[in-house]
Amino acid sequence: MPPDASPGPPAFEEVDHTADRAIVARGASLEELFENAARGMNAILGFRPDPGAAPEARRIALEAVDAEGLLVSWLSELAFLAETESLGFERFGFERFSPTALAATAFGRKAAAMEKLIKAVTYHDLAIRREGGIYTARIVFDV
Amino acid sequence: MEIRQIAPFLYEIPRGARPGMRVPARFYADEALAAAARADRSLEQLINTATLPGVVGHVLAMPDMHQGYGFPIGGVVATEPPEGVVSPGGVGYDINCGVRLLTGRVTAREILPHLDALASALYADCPSGVGRGGEVRLSAAELDQAMVEGARWAVRRGFGMAEDLEHTEEGGCLEGADPGAVSDRARARGRDQMGTLGAGNHFIEIDRVERIEDEAVARRFGLFADQVVVQIHCGSRGLGHQVCTDSVNRLQKAARDWGYRLPDRELVCAPLESPEGRAYLAAMKAAANYAFANRQVLAHRIRGSFERVLAPEGLPRELFPLYDIAHNIAKMERHEIEGRARTLCVHRKGATRAFGPGSPEIPRAFREVGQPVLVPGSMGTSSWVLVGTAEAMRQTFGSSCHGAGRRLSRHQAKRAVQGAGLRRELEEGGIHVRAGSLAGLAEEAPSAYKDVDRVVDIVHGAGIARRVARLVPLAVIKG
Repeated sequence: MPPDASPGPPAFEEVDHTADRAIVARGASLEELFENAARGMNAILGFRPDPGAAPEARRIALEAVDAEGLLVSWLSELAFLAETESLGFERFGFERFSPTALAATAFGRKAAAMEKLIKAVTYHDLAIRREGGIYTARIVFDV
Repeated sequence: MEIRQIAPFLYEIPRGARPGMRVPARFYADEALAAAARADRSLEQLINTATLPGVVGHVLAMPDMHQGYGFPIGGVVATEPPEGVVSPGGVGYDINCGVRLLTGRVTAREILPHLDALASALYADCPSGVGRGGEVRLSAAELDQAMVEGARWAVRRGFGMAEDLEHTEEGGCLEGADPGAVSDRARARGRDQMGTLGAGNHFIEIDRVERIEDEAVARRFGLFADQVVVQIHCGSRGLGHQVCTDSVNRLQKAARDWGYRLPDRELVCAPLESPEGRAYLAAMKAAANYAFANRQVLAHRIRGSFERVLAPEGLPRELFPLYDIAHNIAKMERHEIEGRARTLCVHRKGATRAFGPGSPEIPRAFREVGQPVLVPGSMGTSSWVLVGTAEAMRQTFGSSCHGAGRRLSRHQAKRAVQGAGLRRELEEGGIHVRAGSLAGLAEEAPSAYKDVDRVVDIVHGAGIARRVARLVPLAVIKG
């Protein structure tokens, strides 16, 4: 379920939340859900890569109490890199992945522009569900 | 859900309304706002806070309440040690987001020909928006000092004057901050953001005092009709956001270990006197102090802009501090419950302290009348200066509303409003706008918010703050 797959539900979409911004992300596997959630967050950030910038890669290793916690930590890590280094990531290679730990390399570029900073990725109403073979999560961002 | 009106503008959900509630939930509203509160999840979220261990009295929501995550925005929740908890979600990610109001001697009539130049000067001098760091780059040692000393550090560095500190909640410095409890990530986010506004709903606004409602208190506050005043609305920036993120993550496991059954994971918490609770409070205070310092540096920059634009014109350019208040914070305070003074941790998330006359915590100059309560409205509409009351001490742990309160989501606002059109509309209304992002401007459109005048009518009617002066905008600076 890559981001441009069709037909079927989109890999991610923005949904309403009164105070903040929220997305629903989907994936055929947990890894794919994590990738699509990262791309959905890029849409909230308004990330546009600088075509002239050299490719960048960052190693990310995380642990959490459960899959939801891991998803929050994953997106928080990417939001941190967006804020402090103006980096956006579009490709991901997972070397290790379980519901409570991951090790990955994120590939991306410096941004030509970002419209928004993400204050935080929240746990609010966050539950990863699996229905009909598709993992789904609704993630609320404090912006 | 059983909701009963117990006083004009005050509704109560009794303790038995849902299993697990330890205290009743109360909210301030008129009929229309009560209906709006029922339509989103703010009341459900308020009830959730009534289940927290060690919660006392009743949990409260102000009339600008709306759905947040974990706690509702507009929530006031007091807990008592030893079983009482502190919840990072009860403060929010933008720790010590707050408002500072500076009062001028210059009048709106005098300043009008220079407003455009002034708006441009403020936009140039006060970094705002995404990716714009500040000119105050802090060494690791200086960052530690700012986190320990807050606005005192800023004044010592030459950003402002001693009088500013007297006119800041807690003197601009929460005691007990520990930079050692703040992660490297939080430091990295905060190092180059000192003296910056950020984006989102944060702003600097030049306002005109449109009308005075309480002459005696206004005189005490140094406010007069047609006066120019400046509001600064911002917080602890990335440093505070990261302190909350770190704490919410850390407490996910700890809350399980304590056996807390929480209806929302954003409500994770720790006993006030546990190592985890103490660590959060020490880090939160460090972030709160960073925010006090941040608004202090911005105030200094704004004074510089006024000096540069108004001095050559021979106009008064002085800006005096009225007050600086937090509206996302948790603090240990003494309050009377059932006839006994008790030490409580009061969480205010999107709520403002509103201490009444006689409170030793408020500046000497205001002790006879009560503290100033600053209520910024949505962009392009009105804002209010209120005064805290004895009634607030009885009803709300000395708290009141913090703003207009959102009505539409940012996403809905962006769909309904075009940034360029909104800017034109505001400028046709005589408001000078400087904004880094038109999309960001659209998200903060006045139509996305409740009517702040109505919110203020409710707190005034309920007696938890009283109207002093209404402000209308002349220029808005946003990220």
